[in-house]
Amino acid sequence: MKIFLKRITEIWDRLFLEERPSIGLSFFRIAVALTVGFHVIPTLFNLSDNYYATAFKTYNLHFFTPEVITLVQKSPDGVVLLFTFLFYIFWFFFLIGLWSQISCILMVGTCYYFYALNAFHVGTLSWDILLVTLFLMCLTPYQGDYFSADCLLRGDPEAYKRKRPFYLQRLLQLQIASTFFYTALYKVSAAGNWIKDNPIYYLMNTPPAGVTKYFLLRDWFAVHPTACYIAGITIIICEFSLPFLLFFPRTRLSAIYLGTFFHIVLILTLDVPAIFFFLFPPQLLLFIHPAKIVHWIEVKRRVNSQASQSQLIYDGHCGFCLASVNMLKVMDLFGCVKMVDFQTVGDIQHLHATLTKEKCMSQIHLVEPDGALYGGFEAFRRLCLVKPMLYPMLLIVYFPGMGVIGPRIYQWIAKNRYFLHFNKICQDHACFR
Amino acid sequence: MSKRIRNIAITIFVIFWTILFHYESTRHFYLEPLVGRPLLKMKFLFPPAGWIMFFNVGEDTGYAEVYGVNADGPQQIDQHEILATRTIGFDNIHRNVLSTVLSSDMQGPFCRFLQRKFPEFDNFLVTAVYYPSIVKAPHKRLQRVVYQCGKRP
Repeated sequence: MKIFLKRITEIWDRLFLEERPSIGLSFFRIAVALTVGFHVIPTLFNLSDNYYATAFKTYNLHFFTPEVITLVQKSPDGVVLLFTFLFYIFWFFFLIGLWSQISCILMVGTCYYFYALNAFHVGTLSWDILLVTLFLMCLTPYQGDYFSADCLLRGDPEAYKRKRPFYLQRLLQLQIASTFFYTALYKVSAAGNWIKDNPIYYLMNTPPAGVTKYFLLRDWFAVHPTACYIAGITIIICEFSLPFLLFFPRTRLSAIYLGTFFHIVLILTLDVPAIFFFLFPPQLLLFIHPAKIVHWIEVKRRVNSQASQSQLIYDGHCGFCLASVNMLKVMDLFGCVKMVDFQTVGDIQHLHATLTKEKCMSQIHLVEPDGALYGGFEAFRRLCLVKPMLYPMLLIVYFPGMGVIGPRIYQWIAKNRYFLHFNKICQDHACFR
Repeated sequence: MSKRIRNIAITIFVIFWTILFHYESTRHFYLEPLVGRPLLKMKFLFPPAGWIMFFNVGEDTGYAEVYGVNADGPQQIDQHEILATRTIGFDNIHRNVLSTVLSSDMQGPFCRFLQRKFPEFDNFLVTAVYYPSIVKAPHKRLQRVVYQCGKRP
């Protein structure tokens, strides 16, 4: 009995309590934030139709209590506008991972407000699924450990391998696996009709305003009921087997591909809320063992450290530059860039033949392994290409016109950088220019 | 918090959550028929009847069509004009979201909404379109007026 209990405890520890890197959750946070944004933001474009007193509203009394609905309905339009503003703020904070847990809780609070105010557009079964996921995401700050403003503020260059109890990721795994399982179960039992009838055949024949999109093979399926039935049974088999395939290590990767393919097919063929498409494939990626992700990153870092690296040349006497460089170190997931304080280098021309102290004082420089030299805004642009956390910035720094505006903004910051810090070395700004 | 207390808290939560999740997943279609009475639904989380995506698709189908009436007679209003909120990756109208308005409870609020949104019409006809069998009789389309909004006050 004692041995049995010990064994059970060991299994439980391994399943839920063992500390593992939280990088997968951090990535998932971004997917969740985008899913929420894609679903809620379109409804906020037209407040008078959707949420103001002039809107057409329906209420979800299965989900909310009548008291909550009544209370929320008393909101004047100004309060609706305030919640809209708050949603945008907290949603953006959650997306970038600033105060991750608090912003998640507050964002979810605003989502509940809009759901109680009007369930007509936002309320779907997939939205209820997303709220379950969001509830779990609110429980801990683990999702802000990496790919976040929080990790930049903490300044830990090894934030990507921060370990946390695995229970949250495990519950998210169980959630998606169970959802697949129950979806199949409902199709073959309860009031489901996928065995005794041919739902796919009916879907392929819905009139034009129906839920089925006009995809390439629709007309073929519409006249081949047997093929539709086989497709339906295949879907059920996939949904039933996915949970098991996902938890079995040897079939896990195939199951992730299969689940992702399943949702691509879903979005291409049916007009169902895109929450499934945006949320489920990233949630499937939570089945990848986080230690394997960290191992892969470490291997890349090791390879990069042995290879010829780019060198970022900065001013070590400038607190603003030091703080920025520290953030760049946190962002440098694959260890692609070596940071060099030119103030500690005897011969600057050893770094690059055209560099002088004056040039280095004026802006950062990036010397790439092939000897190419980039300065200021161009250097930052190049950094955006190699640091995953800066990838979203690519949309901004390569936006048409940024080649002209970007260097001016950079020059302004570079010239005033000594005023943007609290570095003791330059408290009197003696080293300014 | 010590590691031991943290682990106990996590263990209690995981057990509680797992039971709740599976209870809500099975409550409506499996547990309630089993015990023969309605069971308590957890408010503020979980869908009303489990994960029932497309679990039952019949050969009949239906949707709402709305007509604005003025001196020129009735004119069909595109559903995308009625619900002008655009969604990403799918079409809410094709999801048949407008069928909600066919409920008689919706007559008052929906009529007020239509009257505000389409002031050029004097009256509105909210109709239900019904296909008894989209495979056996794909062109058999039945339509009836469910309610009309009446003259603008």
